[in-house]
This record gives sequence, structure tokens and C-alpha cells, in this order.
Amino acid sequence: MIGALVIVPILAGLALYALPRSAENAAKWIGVVVSFAAFVVAALSRDAPDESLVWLQRPFTASFHVGFSATGYASAGYWIVLLLTLATGCGLMVARLPQMLVLLGAMTGVFVARDLLLFALFWDFMLIPVFLVLIAWSPTKSSGTAWKYFVYNLCGGLALLLATAAYGIFAGTTDAIGKVAGPLSPSLPAAAETWIFAGFALAFLIKTPVWPLHTWMPDTYADLPPPMVAVVSAVQSKAGLYGFIAIGLSLFPHAMAAVAKPMLVLGAISLLYGAFAALVQDDAKRIVAYSSLSHLGLVLLGIFSFNPYALGGAIVYIVAHGLFNAGLFITLGEIEVREDTRSLSRLGGLAARNPKLGGALTIVALAALGLPGLCGFAGEILIMTGLYQAGHHKLTVVALIPIVLAAAYMLRAFQGMMQGPEVEDVPQRPDMTPLEIFAIAPLVVAIVLLGIDPGPVAFPARAAQTVGIGPAQPPPFVVSDK
Amino acid sequence: MTPQLTIPYGSADWEALVPTFIVAAGALVVLLADLILPVALRRQAAIALGVLALAIAGAFALTGWHHPYSAFAGGFVNGGFTIVFEEITVVAAIFSLLMAYALGRPDQAGGAIALMLWSASGAMLMAGAANLMTIFLGLELLSLALYCLCGLSPRPASRESALKYLILSSTASALMLYGMALLFGATGSVSLAVFANPPASVALFDAGCGLFLIGLCFKLSLVPFHVWTPDVYEGAPLPVTAFMSVVTKAGTLAVLARFAYAALPASSAAAILWPLWIVAALSMIVGNAAALAQTDIKRLLAYSGVAQVGYIIVAMAGTTPQGLRYAIFYLGAYTFMNLGAFAVVALLSRERDEGSSLGAFAGLGYRQPVLAAAMTFFLLALAGLPPTVGFTGKILILASSVQSGFVWLGVLLIVGTAISAYAYFKIVRAMYARTTGAPIQRAFKPASALPWVGVAICAVATLVLGLCPLAPSDVLPLVK
Repeated sequence: MIGALVIVPILAGLALYALPRSAENAAKWIGVVVSFAAFVVAALSRDAPDESLVWLQRPFTASFHVGFSATGYASAGYWIVLLLTLATGCGLMVARLPQMLVLLGAMTGVFVARDLLLFALFWDFMLIPVFLVLIAWSPTKSSGTAWKYFVYNLCGGLALLLATAAYGIFAGTTDAIGKVAGPLSPSLPAAAETWIFAGFALAFLIKTPVWPLHTWMPDTYADLPPPMVAVVSAVQSKAGLYGFIAIGLSLFPHAMAAVAKPMLVLGAISLLYGAFAALVQDDAKRIVAYSSLSHLGLVLLGIFSFNPYALGGAIVYIVAHGLFNAGLFITLGEIEVREDTRSLSRLGGLAARNPKLGGALTIVALAALGLPGLCGFAGEILIMTGLYQAGHHKLTVVALIPIVLAAAYMLRAFQGMMQGPEVEDVPQRPDMTPLEIFAIAPLVVAIVLLGIDPGPVAFPARAAQTVGIGPAQPPPFVVSDK
Repeated sequence: MTPQLTIPYGSADWEALVPTFIVAAGALVVLLADLILPVALRRQAAIALGVLALAIAGAFALTGWHHPYSAFAGGFVNGGFTIVFEEITVVAAIFSLLMAYALGRPDQAGGAIALMLWSASGAMLMAGAANLMTIFLGLELLSLALYCLCGLSPRPASRESALKYLILSSTASALMLYGMALLFGATGSVSLAVFANPPASVALFDAGCGLFLIGLCFKLSLVPFHVWTPDVYEGAPLPVTAFMSVVTKAGTLAVLARFAYAALPASSAAAILWPLWIVAALSMIVGNAAALAQTDIKRLLAYSGVAQVGYIIVAMAGTTPQGLRYAIFYLGAYTFMNLGAFAVVALLSRERDEGSSLGAFAGLGYRQPVLAAAMTFFLLALAGLPPTVGFTGKILILASSVQSGFVWLGVLLIVGTAISAYAYFKIVRAMYARTTGAPIQRAFKPASALPWVGVAICAVATLVLGLCPLAPSDVLPLVK
């Protein structure tokens, strides 16, 4: 069933591509049915057994091995919600539905792959639908954005490929994700571990992205159509962080520890740079793009502080960011459809005419700025606690600055769009339709639920226990299988 | 006493050459049919007979899989290694014939197709050639037919292509022949098997190897011996370009692999071959970088071929046995993805206009979605992206480079691949971009539906070979 989660959307996407344009309505329903079915199947296969097929036997063994490891499922949690969103939202983007379905299949593949080679396959594969959408629908005349996205991410993907091949040679198999837990098992020579990890890390850092490898990101997010940017920013960008947790911590523990300092510095710079850059943007989508840079820098801090709370917080924040970022981009897309612009200086006073839209944006923006009770806060507080406990006191103080800034840029964006005087020549269109509300409702529900009880996501191994601050025994350092 | 006429070779010797002979004899049958049949039927008949001859030869070659032996006193070695290269040649020739519905004038079609078959038989001879005589015989049979084929199109560029190829390729052949003479002088033998013993004169032997390798590098169009490739590929008729892009490489790679793996003294092999790895590195970078600037698909695929051969040589770096398997696997992969792309170009071709300009692809994604998707798929494979055989092939080559200690070649392969992605995806962009102005309204009227067969088979092979669980490594036999 897990394999079908990957293959069926891809096949459905290809089939939709071949459909004649007159069959648009049928295409829409196929898209809705496929993504809704995938949601149901994913939700039911929480404890489904792994599935595996042999792929290579020489020079190392590799297999088509898929399954929901603990981290994989947690990271996929928000993705599952997105599927539901897509099921309703795909009416907005019938023309891009084939690419969207292929992208969903490929991203599922990244998160469920238990074999490094399979992981690398999906990692590279998920570039292609986004590239196709960027060249075909880029609002700017040049395809510079598409190339920037493609070349940046491909460089990362190829480094990952070489590293995967090297790992296979040294370890004898690439079927390793989730198999080895803790700093015990890898039989890699130290030098090899460092270089192999460097290849993986480059790919992860580009995908996340982290300063100074982020320059593809604002343009890409600004140019992608709304549902696609929601998926790319909310899910695809998490593949890098997921990689650090699921692959880095368990397969390259020594190398991870060795690069912790530089990574913390990169994370802190991303955190500050993103927040300050978000303060001065006029394009609402770019505000969210830079805020992403800032938020994901925080997650990087959480991962590389090697503290169980911080790590749990990082996982929560990965999911939380997926939820509120998807919400933000979908809301912004709806604003853009109504007003034909997303420039703060041209927008204003929307809330008076579109109260539902205003309400939706309020909730997701509040989650993004870390209001207690919503999911953003749950992740932030855990990361901060863990960071402090790990002895990074100064870094904790630094990490607090962008949280204040987040309130500033989010409220600025909200005010710019929703409040103040209306601009005369901007068109006036009706409020959200029931379909659009239904598209965003699951996200809002999940934002609240995760904010109230982040435990099952943060510490899946101890989901049964109540997670408070400071349990008697901290959860295991590495979130492993069983 | 009258001198006794003896035939020194038994029937087993000739049996090894049967597939080659079937193809060569098929060419004669094509010529005969050309004499008998009316003009209107000649082309179809020639293509059908050619495909038939190749198919029979391919099927017959497979029967020798489990019985490796050496024929003609070591002049031709039959066995798995030989057969794989013969099959690649046969497959490539069949796909090229499927595109050959416009090759040459209608009344000359038989001759053109016969030439192509003879050329293929030359490559098949090279596949098993294990002494210098057979190698040269195969090489010249391959090349001489190609010189004529290159000039078959009425375009002026075609004549330029033929002349360029004739002059430069003959020069390379001459260098190679001189190298062979030196090798013979150093070892007293033309048999590759004897070369593995320490030579009488090391200096002569090394010089001979150098010249021999330069000749091979020229035929493989490796940097810096590649300058002829884009011009010749561009000028030659499309089916001929497709044919030579694979068949020349297959034949020459067979010789190169046999030479590198089985013909060098163990003590000096590494030293003699190291320039080859440098050449491979240069090819990957220069070939891909030069492909960036091309706006003609045939030129682009020419440069891409330069780089792809570089990848194949990387697999052989360090001459590890596993590496050879991956090299052969990647050559097979290249056959399908490259010929698939050529088949798409063939479908876009019209009279006097080969559909190989980037403009012919503008907006193809909206005019012919299936064809554009196929082309995208082949380009993905050429760029080494999943889910294709190009991806699997590259991972195997990378693994081989790590295993043999040539990680730097693996890194350069990555760099080259990153560069090449831009070149290949330029075509994808042309097919799908809406923003590059109004798409050129070209009617899609392929002169023949035959290339569709090539597109379909290549697409399936590109997908299945990449994902099939019977990964190549255990099937492919080693060189003897």
C-alpha cells in the first residue's frame, strides 16, 4: 500500500497529462479522487509493514524499500493534511494537475524511502515537475527562476548521488535509512564518513535552504502558482531537514557532531538574515519566503544542538511550518486571485469586504509568529528549551530576536493587506467560496491541534506518555525505529 | 607435385563469424532486391530486408552465449563480451533503419541501406576482434561505408560532412596503423593475447600503444580528438548520424575494452592507460560545456556523445572487472536513450528540413504532448536523472569510480552532469515554455510512422532497464 502511495499519483499525473484538453472536468475529478484516496491510505498505513523489492545486487545491494519510519511518518504528517487540501484545492489549478500529482508521488517517495538510493532517486525526481511548472507558468518573461531553481537543486542532488554511491561501496548496502540507530553501527572509515556526509549535507542545505545557499528560494516561491508553492515550501523544503534527522543523525553521527558548530552558525545567520529581509519586502509572497528562511534556520539549530527536546521541537516545528506556510501561501494565492496583486503597497482594507479571508490569514499568521497555543509556539519553545539545556546560552538569546521580528513582519503583512484604507483601482471580488474554505480548514484544525498537543509528533516513541517539560527520562537521542 | 590448397580453419572458426556474415549477406540481398523491384517498393523492401537480416543475426548471435571460444587462431574471440557488443550494434542498426525512410534518393535507397548494413557488420567484427588485423579490418569496413553514408543528403553540409570525416578519420586510421606496426615490431605478433607478455622493446611498445589509443580516441571522439564530431554529425543525414553515434562507439569501445583489459602487461597497464583517464575527464567537462551553446539538436547530441563516452571510460578507470560491466551497461543505456531522442527528431523531420533545430521543438509540449513527453524522458535519461536507465547507469559508474579509487573522476562526472543538465533542459524548455513568443506553427506530418516504433521501444527500455531488479551486473560477461 505504501508503494501505491508513491506510484499511483505519478501514474495518475502522467495519465492526466495525456488526456485531451476537452476532458478537463474529468481530470479535475481524477485529481480529487486520487489525492483524497492517497490521504485515506496514508492515514490508515500508520503501522503498515515495510515493502521491499530487490533493485541492485552489485556493486552494493539496494532495494525499492518503502515504509513509514517514526520520523518519516511524523514528517509526512503535514504532508497528509496537504493531500486533503489539494483534494479540494485542485479545482484552482487543473492545468497544473499532472505536475502536481507527479510531485506529490515523488515527495511521498522521499519521505517513505528506506533505501538511500531510492531516496536519491525521488530527491532528483521531484525537481522535474516543479521545473516544468516554472518554465511554463512563470509570470516573468525570462525563465531565469526556473534555471536557478533547477541548477541549484540539481547540484545538491548530484552531490547526494555521489555520496550515496560512495556510501553503498563502503557499507555494502544502501538499504540503511532507519536501520541503524545511534552512534554505534556504521562501519565507515572516519575520513569516508566525513566526505560522504559532506555530499548529503550540501544537498540538504540547498534544499532547505540555508544561508548562503538560499538565493534560488525567494524567486522560486514568488513565481510558482499558489497551490504548488504551498507544496514546495511546506513539504519539499522539509526534505533537507528530514534528511538531517533521518539520515544524518543515524548514519553519520560523528560527522554530524563534527560539523555542529558551523551548522549552528549557518542556522543562526539564516534565522537573522531571513527575519530582517522579511521586514522590508513589499511582495507578500517574498515576506513568507524570507520568513521560511528564518524559521528553518531555527529548525537547523534544533537539530544540531543534539538535545532530545530540541530535536523533538525541530520535528514539531518542521510539521508546524509545513502547516502554517501552506496556509499562508494558499491564503495569499486567494488574495492574489481577488486583487490581481500581492504588493503590500497596493493592497489594503481587505478584511472589511472579505472577513472570512481575513480570519483565515489571521490564524495562519498568528501560528507563524509563534502565538502560544498554536503549532508554531509548540515547536519554538521546545527548540529553545533544548538549545538552552544543551549549553548554547548565547545562541538561545540570538534565536529569540527573530521571534520578535516575526511578530513585526507578520503583523506588517497582515496590516498591509487586511487593514487600512482600500486602494481605489484594485478590483473588488467576493469573499471565500465554500470550496476555498474547505481547502484551508484542515490546515487550521491541524494548526490548533498540534499547538495544543505536540507530544505525539515530537516524541513518537513515547506517544502514549504525556509530554511535559522535563520528563523523568528524556526521550532517546535519536528517533529510531523500534 | 602440385601445391595442396588447404583451408586452415575449421567450421567452428567460421561459426563465430556467422552473425557478422548474415548482416553482410543481408546487404547483398538488399542490393539484389533493389535490382528486381519497382522504384516505389525499393525503399520499404530494403528497410524490411535490412531489419530482418539484423534480427536474424542478433538472434543467432545469442546462441553462442554460453560457449566462449577463440576462432581463427585468436583472430576473433566469440563469447559473452563479443555478443553484447554485437547485440548493441544490431539494435542500434535496426533503430537507425527505422528512421531511414528518407535516406538517399528513392532509386538509391537499396544502396544506402546496404552500406549501413556493411558498416554494422564492420562494428560486429570489431566486437570480437582480438588481433590487430581483424581490428583494422573491422574498423575500415565500418568507416568506409560511413564516409559514403555521410554524403548521401542533398544538402551542401552533407558533402562537407563526408569530406571532413574522410580526411580526419583516415588520418586517425593512419596513426593507428602506424601504432599497430610499432606494436608488431615490439612484440613480434599481431595478437592481443601476446601483448600481455613483457615486450621485447618497451619504448616501441609504449609508442605503439600511444598511437593505437589515439586512433581509438579519435573514433570515439574523445576530447581533444573530438573536433570533427559536431560538423560531421550535423551534416550527415539523420539516420546516419543516429547510426554512427552508437555503432561507431560500440565497435571502438569493444576494441578499447579488450585492449585495456586483456592486452597489456599487468606491470605497465596502469602507466599506459593513465592518459586515457585524463582524456575521459576532459571529455566530460569540455563535451558538456560545448553542448551548452548548441542550438542544433544533432550538434548537441554530438557533444553530448563526447561526454557520454567519457562517462563510459570512467567506469573502466582502474580496469576493475566490475567497472567493465558498468561500462557495457551504460553503453546499452546510451543506445536506447540516445536513439530514442534521435527517433523523436526523425518524427519532426520533413523534406529538406531535419527538424533538428531548437525551433522545431518550440511549443511541442502543447502540439504533441506524447511526443514531447517521450523526448523529455530521453533527455532526463541523458542527463542522468531518475527514473531512467541513465540514473541507474550513472550510479553504477559513480560506485565504480569510488571502488577503483578514481573518486576525482566521479566528482568530475558530477560536475559534467550538472553542466549537461542545462544543455538538455534547454530543449525541454523550448517544448514547454509559453513565454518564448508565439510558437512556430509547424504542421506535424511525419513522413513515416516507423520512428514511433523506435520511440516506444526506446522509452520502455529506458524505463525498465533502469528499474529492473535483474540489475545488469550479473548478466554481463567479462572480457576474456
